[in-house]
Amino acid sequence: MEWLEIFDISLFRSLIRSATPIALIGFGAAMCSASGVLNIGLEGKMLNAAFVGIAASYYSGSALTGFIWGVSAGVLTAILFGFLSFNLGADEVLVGLAINIFSIAGTRYLLETLFKRRGFFSDPSIQGIDPITFDFLVDTRFEKILSGYTPSIYLVFFLAIVLYLVYYKTRLGTAIRATGENPEAAEDAGINTLRMKWLTVIFSGVLAGIGGTFLSLENMTLFTEGMSAGKGYIGLVASSFGNNTPLGTFGASLFFGLGDAIGIRLQGVYELDSRLILMVPYALTVVVLILIGIRQRIKIRPVPIPEQ
Amino acid sequence: MEKFSFKDVLILFVGTIITISIAWVLLTVTGFVPREIGKLFFEGAVVGQRNILNTLNIATPYILTSIATVVSFRVGMFNIGINGSMYIGGLYAAWAGYKFTSLGHIPHVSLCIAIAIITGSLWMLLPAILKVYAGVSEIISTIILNFVAVLFVSYMANGPFRADPIAPATPRILETAELKQYFPNSQFNSGFFIAVIIAFLTYFILKKTTFGYELRSGGDGLVGFYPSRYSSYLGIPSDRSAITGMLISGGLGGLAGGIEILGNARYFYQELLFNQGFDGILIAIVGKLEPIGGLIASLFWSALRNGGLFVDYKTEVSREIVVILLSILIFFVSAQKLVSSLERFKFVRKLDAFFTRKIK
Repeated sequence: MEWLEIFDISLFRSLIRSATPIALIGFGAAMCSASGVLNIGLEGKMLNAAFVGIAASYYSGSALTGFIWGVSAGVLTAILFGFLSFNLGADEVLVGLAINIFSIAGTRYLLETLFKRRGFFSDPSIQGIDPITFDFLVDTRFEKILSGYTPSIYLVFFLAIVLYLVYYKTRLGTAIRATGENPEAAEDAGINTLRMKWLTVIFSGVLAGIGGTFLSLENMTLFTEGMSAGKGYIGLVASSFGNNTPLGTFGASLFFGLGDAIGIRLQGVYELDSRLILMVPYALTVVVLILIGIRQRIKIRPVPIPEQ
Repeated sequence: MEKFSFKDVLILFVGTIITISIAWVLLTVTGFVPREIGKLFFEGAVVGQRNILNTLNIATPYILTSIATVVSFRVGMFNIGINGSMYIGGLYAAWAGYKFTSLGHIPHVSLCIAIAIITGSLWMLLPAILKVYAGVSEIISTIILNFVAVLFVSYMANGPFRADPIAPATPRILETAELKQYFPNSQFNSGFFIAVIIAFLTYFILKKTTFGYELRSGGDGLVGFYPSRYSSYLGIPSDRSAITGMLISGGLGGLAGGIEILGNARYFYQELLFNQGFDGILIAIVGKLEPIGGLIASLFWSALRNGGLFVDYKTEVSREIVVILLSILIFFVSAQKLVSSLERFKFVRKLDAFFTRKIK
């Protein structure tokens, strides 16, 4: 069983690092889907945030400024998405796709125009966000597992719990779910569905912003073209894997992160091709979607009309 | 969606003017002379044999992917996975291109193209069935399949189909499987004619045949974009037409990938990057989900792209500026309420009525 030895602390840490951006995007996507908005544009929001974050950090020399600007970029893109799809009546999927294509081209254009670089941008004057170490954990057995991550990683765990509470235990969470499940009934119950949709879209913009700055300022301090590499879409997939619930999404993201981490570890070491392992989470997502679909089918089986 | 009307043309026109002024500002701010850039841009897009040929060559996959989008959206399926079909079709076209050795030119090319179409459409079988029988959103499942397709072709190019010990790539396809390149100075090949024929064929089938009507009826009762049960009330098996439409759409995607391999790349390698599947969706929207509209929009789109490449090559202006401007244009075109708000103006209503009457 020599392949078992890859399951160690560093695999765990790499899992957490891979899962974080997926979970951040996934939470945003889950909230959007729960309120009935299919948000494909998260990829673009993330990419914009990653670029603006690194540009702001480069010009100001402060990681915090970079973070704030990056998140604002995510939110602004979310506002563009919301404005086009809610106020101007454009289709959400199309706007999402257009935003993604716009962001890939836009960040590449700015990279070439502002920094005169192609492909990637890195500079010693870019300040990254430092990892947090907990002093009370030093020299205990938990140090390697729990300490020394960047802030966003702790944020993800915190968010998973908070979102769970908001989603199931508060009036707001019920309103969001009602908006997605039955908009007419929600309107009748006095919920402003448009406001709920705006709320979730802006929230997803904030999270995508954090996810983007995680990629460019925390995980690494550099920007590469198309750096989000489909994570926006994977987050969307993770949220549907988790049936648009916070904890389900979190679990799914960890699963995708595990696939990623094992894939990186196995590269060129064992006979088994890492690409086959990377496919496993997607295949399982399809299975989960089928189960959810069948369950809904059973639920909405038409009731026979009683004879008079 | 409604047919082309005067308002659409007007919004396209206004959007173009606004995007051009954005470009003007961008170029001026970055220290270029917009006039000269514009002239170069025009030259790169449509002036001279070589540039025109390159434009047409770039247009080939866009035509096919936009037609694929048209077909799937018209049957009421949101197929985001055309890109995945392109990869699969391209991979198997390359495989058929080097595998079958003792065939003539025409049979070999036809076989490769048939294999590309079949594999591409089989790739779309799963999302279609999942949508119809399990109610799984085809948007999510096709996005998943896009990722799986990239992983799968990368695995195949590294493993079973690998020929080159250094680079992960398939062997070069045989000469009999190549789509002919007619000119020495351009990669323009006979794939373009296939794409144009497909566009007209799709137009004919969708508009003039019963089969096409059955396909369309699944999607044309769309409220906004979401399928209504309109066609099943008419007694048309909308489930069956949804699956058929999805398979045709995937097949066209596979054909686009196959033509890219047989006409341009000539072998499949791991770093091969397709993104025409996503762009095709936007192009089809500009073309108002009509096959001929998609054809014209693809030519327009690729002319702009090629112009952008030319400008990038001649000056310091980044080629990405074109894509930025095009996506801003898409924002305008897709904003339905903006389009319908134009009806407030009397002259728009009048001209709308005038042009609709003329066409009928």
